[in-house]
Formats: sequence, structure tokens, C-alpha cells
Amino acid sequence: MLKNGPVSLLFHSLVVGFVLAPLVVICLVAFTPENTLSMPKFLTPWNGFSLRWFRAIFEHPDFTASFWNSLLLATLSASIAVALSVPAALAIDRMEFPGRASLNALFLSPLIIPHLVLGVAFLRLFALIGATGSFPWLVASHVIIITPYVLRLVLAALSGFDRSIEAAALTLGAGPGTVFRRVTAPMILPGITGGWLLAFINSFDELTMSIFVTSPQTVTLPVRMYMYATESIDPMMAAVSALMIALTAIAMLVLDRAFGLDKILVGQK
Amino acid sequence: MAFLALRSLSKVFGDFAAVRDVDLGVEKGEFVSLLGPSGCGKTTTLQMIAGLAEPTAGTILLDGRDITNEKPNKRGLGIVFQSYALFPHMSVAENVAFGLEMRGVNRAEREARVKAMLQLVRLSEMAERYPRQLSGGQRQRVAIARALVIAPPVLLLDEPLSNLDAKLREEMQFELSRIQRSTGTTTIMVTHDQSEALSISDRVVVMEAGRMTQIDAPFHLYENPANAFISSFVGKMNRLEGQMRGGAAVIAGITLPCAPAGLSEGTAATFTIRPEKIALCAAGQGLIDGTITSRFFLGNTWLMQVETLAGSLAVSLPNQGEEPPRPGSPVALDWPASALRVEEGG
Ligand SMILES: Nc1ncnc2c1ncn2[C@@H]1O[C@H](COP(=O)(O)OP(=O)(O)OP(=O)(O)O)[C@@H](O)[C@H]1O
Ligand SMILES: [Mg+2]
Repeated sequence: MLKNGPVSLLFHSLVVGFVLAPLVVICLVAFTPENTLSMPKFLTPWNGFSLRWFRAIFEHPDFTASFWNSLLLATLSASIAVALSVPAALAIDRMEFPGRASLNALFLSPLIIPHLVLGVAFLRLFALIGATGSFPWLVASHVIIITPYVLRLVLAALSGFDRSIEAAALTLGAGPGTVFRRVTAPMILPGITGGWLLAFINSFDELTMSIFVTSPQTVTLPVRMYMYATESIDPMMAAVSALMIALTAIAMLVLDRAFGLDKILVGQK
Repeated sequence: MAFLALRSLSKVFGDFAAVRDVDLGVEKGEFVSLLGPSGCGKTTTLQMIAGLAEPTAGTILLDGRDITNEKPNKRGLGIVFQSYALFPHMSVAENVAFGLEMRGVNRAEREARVKAMLQLVRLSEMAERYPRQLSGGQRQRVAIARALVIAPPVLLLDEPLSNLDAKLREEMQFELSRIQRSTGTTTIMVTHDQSEALSISDRVVVMEAGRMTQIDAPFHLYENPANAFISSFVGKMNRLEGQMRGGAAVIAGITLPCAPAGLSEGTAATFTIRPEKIALCAAGQGLIDGTITSRFFLGNTWLMQVETLAGSLAVSLPNQGEEPPRPGSPVALDWPASALRVEEGG
């Protein structure tokens, strides 16, 4: 193991501090009793902190509805993206066919198109086919923008794959389907789960494109927050953010306890 | 008829013939090595037998049955890959049990057979470990156990020992040979290490550029290499250019006794002699005088280079506890007439 020198230690602490500082600030502001985005008063701990803005969230049923909507949207689209990416990655990595490179490029292209452009394009498309405000088409648009992340990670998992391991399973009597289920899939699982998580976060977080393609019935949480914030800046936004940070942290913790995060994201070496 | 037979087997990649018209018969219970330099088509041959590569032409017969077009998962052959190819997400016991599971063997019998197999490869204590927690030699034994537990008619090994260090490699050669004899499994092993091929096989098949050029028992192969390539690839060989005159070799004007050969008077020939068949004696007392130019101590032997009028010759002496003369010392070389031979095929 390399030991960190004092300079590099300082540098790393600064980076981590820089990343975490806004999160800490937003979590503290969420507990303010005031009407403005101000820090709670630390000197009077018991009446300086207040849960009123957390209570306020639940007085806005549209926020809870948007939360469930976003959760469903992100879960569905991340799962569909995985279901598309795994076979696509297998084909791109292992088969020689004309248009292989173009297929790869096509799958990755949403990464380089600005979400704003995609949003306008989808808005027009949905209007043309009469799908404005439909939830399935919202899912489809999210699948398109998050698939590149999953594909990248699954391709990376496949790139170092020792194919003789599959050959070994085959010669031991496993059919092609069994080989995939018992050997290939478990071995690229870190790429798949990592890709799913990344896709989920990207979908849950997506604002720019969703502004265009959501309808009043399908408003996602980021869009709801954006609309709310354009009208009034009050600490409820901080409370929503704090809740989301807490939820994410709990989800990560549960995942780590259940599977070991380094195992599903980094792979067992 | 041979238990496993390859008939005019060929494999062509694009316009490159990796394996050309190969014929081989392997008897039941036999241990055969495929020996050859890198890229000569050993792995390709093995993969065709396993069903992992499709032959361009020819047939493969197992126990009289044509398996040329049978899927690898139906052939039931055992294979050990060079990289071992263990399942990283399964424990040692699960790795070994995999083939049995695929055959629908019930749990109780599976466990019993895995246990017996791990005992055979001396890994009973490691059953619950994962491949990443094992040493190279242990992984190799897991791979052998996994291939053998399904009682395959033929075991195919692709350079199973090439990733191991010299000491472990020697141990594993012995181990491999012990396991093979105790199960009586017909075995084909690919290797590019001649000493490995000679030490554990019943027969050695030499491959050169996609062809099988000699198939022989190890001792016979070493003593009677079929061509110049084999004579220098299998063991060390001194080679001298000369002519045959009056039943003796004439090399650089010096007449030396040699094994009889059916060559007519005055024919140019290449003469060969193994370094260990030459004896060192005091100057003037041997067949030819010379000077030692270098000597290397290899532990059990001394490898010397002796400059003579007939050319520079490598001489290998067993270490008998006494130091041989130093470089620069005058010496003479001696050998029985049968040791100096006319090279075959070339
Ligand atoms: N898929 C392929 N496409 C084209 N050429 C190939 C392919 N597989 C093998 N070859 C060529 O066929 C020849 C034989 O390959 P093979 O792997 O059988 O060699 P080998 O004897 O096992 O060598 P090594 O000792 O290095 O493993 C090589 O020249 C190799 O480049
Ligand atoms: Mg090879």
C-alpha cells in the first residue's frame, strides 16, 4: 500500500470537503425554523432546529405523487435499459457482423446529444404520434438517454472476460442457455448492477429533457421541484433534498449490507 | 482400432492452414503429448477434439463413433485449459460439482464423488475456498478434478503446467502422471516443453507448422529423431557437416568412427551426436583433441563447450563430485561409434 504524504492527504481532504460541503449545508438548512434558506441557529439547539419544512412536504400531495412517479419511472427505465444492453453488449463484444461499430455508436449517441435537444425532439415526436403525456412514452425516452451508461459498463465487464471459462462450462455438459445463466451472467453481474444503479440515478435525476416530455399527470420529482422553485424559494426544497440524500444513503447502506457494494460495483478479484 | 482417432484432420483460418491433414490414433488409457513450438497448431488440434473449433476437413472417431459434428456439451470430454478457466464465483467444491450437476446426478452422489475427486488431487481441505484464494498449483489441480469427476473417456490438457514455476512444475508432472495412472483416463496433453513431454507420456507427437512429423515413444523419439528440426527441438544436439568415406565420417579432413549408414562413398551428410554421449579424456587419448572454451555448472551436470578441428562440440558430463578441467585446458573427446550418426531426413 502507498502511504499518503501530508500534501496529498490535504489535497484529498479538500476534494472530499468540496464535494460534501453543499450536501451538509442543504441538510442543515432543511432543519431551519425560518421562512428563508437560512442556517438553523446552533447556539440554541432545541428551539433552533425545526421539522416544519419536512411536515410541509407531506402537505403537498403533488410532491409525494411525483416522488412515487419518479421512483417507478427510474426503476422501469433502468430495468428496460439493462434488458436491452446485455444482449446488445454481448453482440457488440463477441460477434462479427457488418454495422457492428455503427450499432455501438448508435447506442452511445444519446450521450453526446444535449438533453435540451432531445427534449424538444421528443416533444414534437410525441405530439405527432399523439402520445403527449403518456407514461410509457416517458419511460421510453428515459430508456434512450440512460442506455449508454449501462451499455458502457456491461461492455467493460465483458472486455476482460476469459472466454475459455464459458468453453469449460460447455464441455462440462452445459447448454448455451445454462452457460449464460450459470457462468456469464454471474461473472458480469458487477457491470450489470453498476449499470442499473447508474441508469437509475440518471433517470431519477433527469430534469432538462423531462421538462419537455412530462405532462401534469406524469410530472417527475426533479420537474416538480424545479417548477416549485421558480415560484417560491423556501426551505421546503432543502427538506426534499435532505430526504433524497437520506434515502440514497439508506439504499446504499442496505445494498452494502446485503451484497457488499465493492462486490457488485467493482467485482470480486 | 484406436480408441480416439483423427483422420486427415485439417483446420484452415482464412487462407492459413493451422492444422494440415493430421492422422493420429490414441489407445485407451494411453498418455499422449502433443509437442511443438508456439503456433504449430497444438491448441487448434485439441480444440477440434473438444468440439470448440470446427474442423475444415477430416473426421474424429471416439470408440468407433464419428463425433466430428457433435456439440462440445454432448461429447463429454474433460478439458483443462491453459488459464485453468475455473468459475471464479463458485467454490472449489461447486466448480468440481458443476459437470455432475449438468448430468443430473443427485445431490448425495454428487457430494460423494466431489469428495473422492478432491481427495485424489489432494485438495480436501480447500473445498470451500474460492479460486482466487488458491495458489497456481492448487488451481491447476481443481481444473483437473473438475474435468475428471465426470469420468470422461478422454482428458485433454492444454499446457496445464506452463504457468507454474520450475519446482512446482516438476511436482505437478509427477502428480499428473499419478492421477492419470490411478484413473486410467486416456489423456492428450499439449506442451511445448520437451522434457515434460518425454517424462510423462507413453507416446510423443511432434508437431511442426500444422503437421505431425513424428509419433514415437519418448526414448525412441530422443534416440531416433526423424529430422533436423526434431533432433534439435527434443534435447540438445551437436551437428557436424562432412562426408561418408570407408564406413567412417570425415569431418574437416578428420576421420571419425560413426554408426553405419546406407550412404554411398563420398556422399555429403550431416552427422549428429548428443552432448551426453561424448566422454572427456586426457589430451591425445581420445578420438579428437580440443580445448575447453566454456563450462557451465547445472547442478547435476556440467555443460562444456570444446573447440576441436572438426568444430565446436557441446559436451555434457554428469557431476560426480569432481570439478572438470577449466576453460583453456587441452582435452580429448571420445565416443562409441554408434553415438555419431548420419542425420535422417536431411
Ligand atoms: N481464430 C483464429 N484465426 C486465425 N488464425 C488463428 C486462429 N486461431 C489460431 N490461429 C493461428 O493458427 C496457428 C496455430 O494456433 P494454435 O493456437 O493452435 O497454436 P499452438 O500450437 O497452440 O501455439 P502455442 O504453443 O503458442 O499455444 C497460429 O499460427 C495462430 O496464429
Ligand atoms: Mg496453444
